[in-house]
Amino acid sequence: MLDLLVIGAGLSGLTAAIYAAQAGLSVRVITKGLNALHWSAATIDLLGYLPDNSPIDAPFAALNHLPAPHPLRQVGDVTLRQALAELQGWLADEGLVYSGAADEANLWLPSAVGAKRPAYLAPTAQAAARLDDPSPLLIVGFDHFNDFYPALIAENLRRQGHAARAHILPLSLITDRTNPNNVHLAEGLDDLARLDALGEVLRHIVTPGERIAFPAILGLAQHPQVIAKLQSVTGAPVAEIPTLPPSVPGLRLHHALVRRLGQFGGRVESNMAAVEFGTEGDSIAWVATATSARPLRHRARTYLLATGGFLGGGFNSDHTGRSWETLFNLPLSMPASRGHWFRPEFLDPAGHPIFQGGVQVNPAWQPVDAQGSVLYSNLWAAGNLLAHADSIRTRSHEALALATGAAAAQAILAQRQMI
Amino acid sequence: MHTISWESVDHTLDECIKCNICTAYCPVSAVTDRFPGPKYVGPQAQRFREPGQEESPDASVDYCSGCRVCNDVCPTGVKIAEINARARAQIVAKSGVPLRNRLLGRNELLGKLGNIAPTVANLALHNPLSRLLADKVLGIAREAPLPRWSEKGSLREWLQRTSRKRLRSPKKVVYFHACATQYYEPFVGKAAIAVFEHHGYEVIVPPQNCCGLPMLSNGEFAAARGYHQRNVATLSSFARGGFPIIGTSTSCTLTLKEEAPELLDMHDEASKELIHGTWDIFEWLHELHEQGELRTDFRTLPLLLPYHAPCQQRAHRIGKPALEILGLIPGLEVRESFARCCGIAGTYGYKSEKYQIAMDVGAELFSFVRAQGAEVTYTACDSETCRWQLEHGTSIPSRHPIEILAAAYGLYDLEKRALV
Repeated sequence: MLDLLVIGAGLSGLTAAIYAAQAGLSVRVITKGLNALHWSAATIDLLGYLPDNSPIDAPFAALNHLPAPHPLRQVGDVTLRQALAELQGWLADEGLVYSGAADEANLWLPSAVGAKRPAYLAPTAQAAARLDDPSPLLIVGFDHFNDFYPALIAENLRRQGHAARAHILPLSLITDRTNPNNVHLAEGLDDLARLDALGEVLRHIVTPGERIAFPAILGLAQHPQVIAKLQSVTGAPVAEIPTLPPSVPGLRLHHALVRRLGQFGGRVESNMAAVEFGTEGDSIAWVATATSARPLRHRARTYLLATGGFLGGGFNSDHTGRSWETLFNLPLSMPASRGHWFRPEFLDPAGHPIFQGGVQVNPAWQPVDAQGSVLYSNLWAAGNLLAHADSIRTRSHEALALATGAAAAQAILAQRQMI
Repeated sequence: MHTISWESVDHTLDECIKCNICTAYCPVSAVTDRFPGPKYVGPQAQRFREPGQEESPDASVDYCSGCRVCNDVCPTGVKIAEINARARAQIVAKSGVPLRNRLLGRNELLGKLGNIAPTVANLALHNPLSRLLADKVLGIAREAPLPRWSEKGSLREWLQRTSRKRLRSPKKVVYFHACATQYYEPFVGKAAIAVFEHHGYEVIVPPQNCCGLPMLSNGEFAAARGYHQRNVATLSSFARGGFPIIGTSTSCTLTLKEEAPELLDMHDEASKELIHGTWDIFEWLHELHEQGELRTDFRTLPLLLPYHAPCQQRAHRIGKPALEILGLIPGLEVRESFARCCGIAGTYGYKSEKYQIAMDVGAELFSFVRAQGAEVTYTACDSETCRWQLEHGTSIPSRHPIEILAAAYGLYDLEKRALV
């Protein structure tokens, strides 16, 4: 029997699985499909905007402005800092260096369309495009590569007062393919020999003091080597700006986490949609996933639900205004009727009530009912299915997943020690 | 007017959130511009397909290998591979099946014909001149790893010869050997039967057909339906009687369980009974192990074994039970491949225009095997065409995991591929 079955392989599920596997637990992660890191910029956002929409420079200090039951406040600074540092360590071990600004401040980075976006930790290649650095950006794109628009990014940045210019190079400089996507290009650039021609051309275009910002396609497995070589050939600092999905930085992050988990014997099983469960007394006895024929039962001593909210598939809803948690049918704190799901304005600074609803947990991260009683003795929950998260609006998506994943894993480990 | 329905896939279209994860992981679009990626030819082009439509919006769907990696990674459950298979069938329904694809789809017939005089058939097929001709005339790639007919007779001939020696027992299983084991690799079937009997099971081998997969993947749905209907007719009664129907060809068990009923819209009771009665062999052995009934009287098998769970095995969505069972064998160190696909994808890599694509797709797996070092003497994989491709790409002999298990029980000689 497994020690821990994690349902959901997003950042929270993978984080919890790694913590548990490192502590010696046998862990399996089951997931319907691959996670949202694949379409994220792969930065670790902690808190970018207050609930009133004002931008935040010092996220730790601003955590107090979140509502008291917000998961990040429940986690607490100590666990949050620890989880962020742990993650940096894991990723560095995998050759993927993440860095932040000095004094625990937010980084401000250009988005895929040249907007200014807050992030707490970023892959060094993205941090190199930080907008508090006054050196101008040379934003390089490739013709017929339709997932990245240098002129749009440069113009948006200039409007916000940042020196930036765009330059388009022929796609044939970096690939023989005619219609490649980001991932194909990144895999191609892992062959460092392809960088010679590109570097040589850019060396004549870049001016002293400029940074070169590429679409985030600078290598997959060989990413650090690709950056180092381009910097040495061009003599300029090299940065990445996110693209439209699929996200190469997201793939790098996902692969690094799955590899880390694998080193401690943990497995991720994709294409395993959890469809039913069984109980014994007050505990979960098994969770079954759909197969080509009969449901496959997974038995574990403990279970962590990390299936995300509506986007992740953890919740569903129908036209009658009913919304539900899709596996255990856990009670959700949600607006009473459909008319209260949304505020009239799409971009209302207060957000929408439906995204603030979710699974309620006790301080040990176990789902509870409206009276605060634990629902199943061996079930925990983490990530963006938690009530009050609303993490996309406040730009706290990844830190919330990371910290609650770490906290839930620690709670599981603590309870096991007591047994 | 054709008969391809979109019944079971269309409702999954709206689940597509255009995240492109499928394209990021598609092993075919990773190596060729001829296939733009699952999202484009699948859920996107599907908006322009409808029943009775004359022109297909996207001929590049023919370059989908059907490996199902897209389904594996899709976060929202879009039936991408099934959309592509149906789209190919729609093209075939309109434009017909090329002779080459007709031949490749008739694995069972080819097996039967060659089995009349296997030595002659092997000589006739496996010589440079015929392969050159087959390449130029038919479009069957000259270098692709075609199997050899068994020159020691088929599996069923062996079963007849040894019928008096076979175990009789109240515990019974039904063995679905499929075409490759019957005509090319009877030793895989012998290893499986030896393992069943080692556990005290009598093995019933009822009449059976090709599962229809080669036809399904070449868009010949009507012909595949005939095969599947006959299998349902002969096998479902065993399922009803509570006898597990166990196969060693993982793509064939997947076809019985899911591909055929899904693509052919066969939802009748007998088809459902067959679905629920069918097991991939290591799925069944794993269940046996869970019940504490798997024998562990293993001898030490000092091998470093790279194991590749093929696409069609992964599509069962049962994890990798062979890894767990082989992991019980003392001395055996199994190294798990995370390569997406070996490239051959059934009949895909045999086609002249697709051979190089298949080899480029397989490069990831071949280099994984090579990276395990010079001490590797065998690789293991649950699918026959993938084993042939693995051998072709690495020059290292490949075995079905059941052969490894039978050897660990002391029942089988891995090198000679014969019972001991």
